Amino acid sequence: MKYDFGIIYGYTDALLRGLTTTAQLTLACIVLGSALGFGLALARTSRNPLVRGASGFYVEFFRGTPVLIQLFWIFFCLPLVLGQEISNLASSIIALSLYMGAITSETFRSSLKVVGREQMDACVALGLPRMRQILHVVMPQTLLRSVPTLLSNCVSLFKESALVSAVGMTDLMFVGQNISNSTVRPVEVLTATALIYFVIAFPLTRAVTRIESRILTKLAV
Amino acid sequence: MNYQFDFHQVSLGLPKLLEGLGTTLQLTAAANVIGITLGFGLALLVMSRHVLVRTPAMLFVEFFRCTPALIQIVWFFYCVPILFDVFIDPLQMGVIALGMNLTAFNAEAYRATIQAVPREQLDAGVALGLTPLQRQLYIVLPNAFRAAVPVLLTNGIVIFQQSALVAIVAIEDLMYVGKSLATESYRPIETFTIIALLYFAVSYPIAQLVSYLERRREAANP
Repeated sequence: MKYDFGIIYGYTDALLRGLTTTAQLTLACIVLGSALGFGLALARTSRNPLVRGASGFYVEFFRGTPVLIQLFWIFFCLPLVLGQEISNLASSIIALSLYMGAITSETFRSSLKVVGREQMDACVALGLPRMRQILHVVMPQTLLRSVPTLLSNCVSLFKESALVSAVGMTDLMFVGQNISNSTVRPVEVLTATALIYFVIAFPLTRAVTRIESRILTKLAV
Repeated sequence: MNYQFDFHQVSLGLPKLLEGLGTTLQLTAAANVIGITLGFGLALLVMSRHVLVRTPAMLFVEFFRCTPALIQIVWFFYCVPILFDVFIDPLQMGVIALGMNLTAFNAEAYRATIQAVPREQLDAGVALGLTPLQRQLYIVLPNAFRAAVPVLLTNGIVIFQQSALVAIVAIEDLMYVGKSLATESYRPIETFTIIALLYFAVSYPIAQLVSYLERRREAANP
């Protein structure tokens, strides 16, 4: 068997378009998921046991089940529940954002712990309303400290996004598999597809390590 | 919402679902055996002094950590038979793919704990005249393994969840059986919810065990 990696050049456009879909989807879910995650992290520190219990269960459930089944549930079941069609793009974004919310909430939760009791006491002494406490005191510190872990959450999401090919989204994975099936050259095409994922995710993981050491030294923690 | 729940069809399929769960658990267990043993060896290779040993080992780890598990599984299924001209039973192929993935992740877990083995203990090993292999086996391994247990368990749960991906290459695991049951019974909500709960029922207790172990460790070394 001879291998001809040259055939990939003929499909550059298609692969790039798939990559764009993957990137857009990932970015949208990072934004939505992180916002959800921050809210969840706050909810888990709530004084109301009902809010705390519900958010805790949400996080455990989404971290305890495969992303594939979450995606299938949203894709196949949500339309039945709502009684209206949902596009595969919408269900992919919903599913991945919900998942991202669960994993980032753990990230935010551990960095929320860093904001000490005395700072909250100072807020009370200054008479800051709850909303301003969160926006001006808690959020800046938490966000800064969670940057490294948040970045690795983003890399995980980028990798998990390959699953949306299973509900027919034309992302990088879907395009790669399609080309590999139609050209009957899985070795070249699948390897190339994997390499595309790699060249994006690898620098990001390196960046995580660098940012980690820099932020940690700056904050002296 | 006016959906009539009907668990009858699904309850008929329950024995098949449990069979699927059995396959999933087998896959997970086998992948964990591979990952826990080979992961330690790989971690040693990654930390080797020789560039020629270190570089390929690091590439292996980074490659598995930086590409989607889905493409790794698809790659193993389509490419390994062509590249090496072998035919492997799908279930075994699933074990190999998941096992390799877990090996890479566990190697990272071991690396951190191997570095944390106190230098004095290794010096003591040298003083006692232990060979390098003996030092790794009797000093580094027990220390590193104990310290790595929580992370190894967490990685084990992750691979349990990732094992759902083999459904895409038609291995009859819980996910695959569940999906066909959902299609046959026209009862996706009930079926998918039950599958999700089955996965959850397995991984939640282990996740709780991990946080218990971590809390105990924190209490032991504050």
